[in-house]
Amino acid sequence: MPRFILLGLLTYGLLLVGILTVKGEFIALALPLVTYLLIGYLQSPEKPQLAATRHLSLERTSPNSNVDITVTLTNHGTTLEEVLLTDILPVGLTVRSGFSRHMLTLQKGESYTFAYTVAGPRGGYAFDTLEVKANDQLAVISSRVRVETKGRLFVLPPVTRLRSIAIRPRRTRVYAGTIPARAGGAGTDFFGVREYQPGDPPRAINWRTSARHLDRLYANEFQQERVADVAIVLDGRLRTNEFARGHSLFEHSVQAAASLADALLNQGNRVGMLVYASYLAWTLPGYGKIQRERILHALANARTGDSQVFSDLEHIPTRLFPPESQIIMVSPLSDDDFVPLMQLRAQGYDVMIISPNPVKFELSYLPADGRTQLAGRVVHMERAMLFQKMGRAGIHALDWDVAEPFDHFVQRRLGRSPFWLRAIGR
Amino acid sequence: MTIIALALSILLGTISLAVGYAQGGAHAYSIWFLVLAAVWLITHFRKWYWFSSLALFLVISAAAFGVWQEFSTVWMLLGALGGLLGWDLSDFARRLSYAAPMDDTRRLERLHMERVGIVAGLGFGLALLSVFIHVQRLAFEVAVGLVLLAALGLTRLIIGLRKY
Repeated sequence: MPRFILLGLLTYGLLLVGILTVKGEFIALALPLVTYLLIGYLQSPEKPQLAATRHLSLERTSPNSNVDITVTLTNHGTTLEEVLLTDILPVGLTVRSGFSRHMLTLQKGESYTFAYTVAGPRGGYAFDTLEVKANDQLAVISSRVRVETKGRLFVLPPVTRLRSIAIRPRRTRVYAGTIPARAGGAGTDFFGVREYQPGDPPRAINWRTSARHLDRLYANEFQQERVADVAIVLDGRLRTNEFARGHSLFEHSVQAAASLADALLNQGNRVGMLVYASYLAWTLPGYGKIQRERILHALANARTGDSQVFSDLEHIPTRLFPPESQIIMVSPLSDDDFVPLMQLRAQGYDVMIISPNPVKFELSYLPADGRTQLAGRVVHMERAMLFQKMGRAGIHALDWDVAEPFDHFVQRRLGRSPFWLRAIGR
Repeated sequence: MTIIALALSILLGTISLAVGYAQGGAHAYSIWFLVLAAVWLITHFRKWYWFSSLALFLVISAAAFGVWQEFSTVWMLLGALGGLLGWDLSDFARRLSYAAPMDDTRRLERLHMERVGIVAGLGFGLALLSVFIHVQRLAFEVAVGLVLLAALGLTRLIIGLRKY
């Protein structure tokens, strides 16, 4: 209840009793309250005319890193005797040092600058307004305004540098890259032998084959290396990512998706990103550093979600992906995911699954008693059978124990063999 | 500084009422004012700031009852004034708790004490004047002016109530 209402009611109550009883003492009793109200009214502030600016020391950072925020508030109106200003923090950010709330007197034309440090987990944070409550010294009348001071902070997922990722989609794009294109031309890996054509360099002549044909020369052909279209699908379904006691695999999946996107873009590929959670968040395919930023921003905002429509993978919108492109899905997987994945494969996509292992993850924090171990073995066998089925369907599924760093895992399972190993067919 | 002033105001209000009631023969009630003072202070330190509004209401009601019972008006006035100051300083202390450690709270406290001092002095002085100076006859123009002033105040109160 505003303060002046209580005082007003008490004052008028005393005056009324004084009039009814015809006793001046009641009115005398009301006089200190009347004086208080009157001085409060006379000194009440006009509507504050304020402007604010905000400066963030960083606009993109990594989780739990400190970011300094500096806010300057300028009073363009009359003097404000008592100002309580609160910088409204986006949910998720915490103040590490300094204060986001201050109390002060602001003279006409005066500016006040304050700074504090925040940190937070992965996410996109929007600073919007500064809440200002101005009142006189007695706080009889107060005026609340929200001063707009926009600011954006992206806490991006950590990106692990990956050396290379060996993928072989059916269709590649025309630009030179690092992905074997299933077509002969200039490259490093041997592809085949064809008849020598004018313009071929002499060192391309395969003398051994040419020696067997007296009238013709033959030349070696190498496998072209090009860039490809890659769509990364991040599974954000609540039922596959969230486990008991608040543990979640989703952060591991996000980090994996970020590292994959970074590595594939560095290789020159065209990469798009679909976050499949309570709704679909699609980042259109693109190349280069700008696309890397777009994807990292999408991943910063990625959250797990629960939706009846997207509870299984049947609603992956395949129209978004270029035909016969490479789809890399980062998902812990559940048993009923096999059919939709097989359908993707049947539509001509090269499907690769990187699956953070939910069984090992959950077992790592459950008590190691006999029943838990037995249950873990059963679920593990079911998962192994799912992986076998996917292998038979031509889906390249990789089981990732999140205890192993992602770059080690990729190097071991997806790293491209050195040239000398490839030369001997390993 | 605010806390000391708050404690003194609460004690001023409640002890004045206790003395006024005791002088009027209502000794049984006096002890309750001291209990009220203790409860008020405890609730303030427990950050139950809402209690100060209830305490103000109780103190003003007690002062009004004392006036009705024709106890000493000066003690009742001092009681009401102490209650008003206690209520104001309790809310000011609450507002100060939002300030950051580096804020210049000493200056704010000084300004507030100055303003409250003016209010207390002016309010108490006017009240004492109204008690001791009796105007036998009031001119019709002055009476009309006072009625208009009261109507204006009432209008402001209604506007305020509608706004909230």
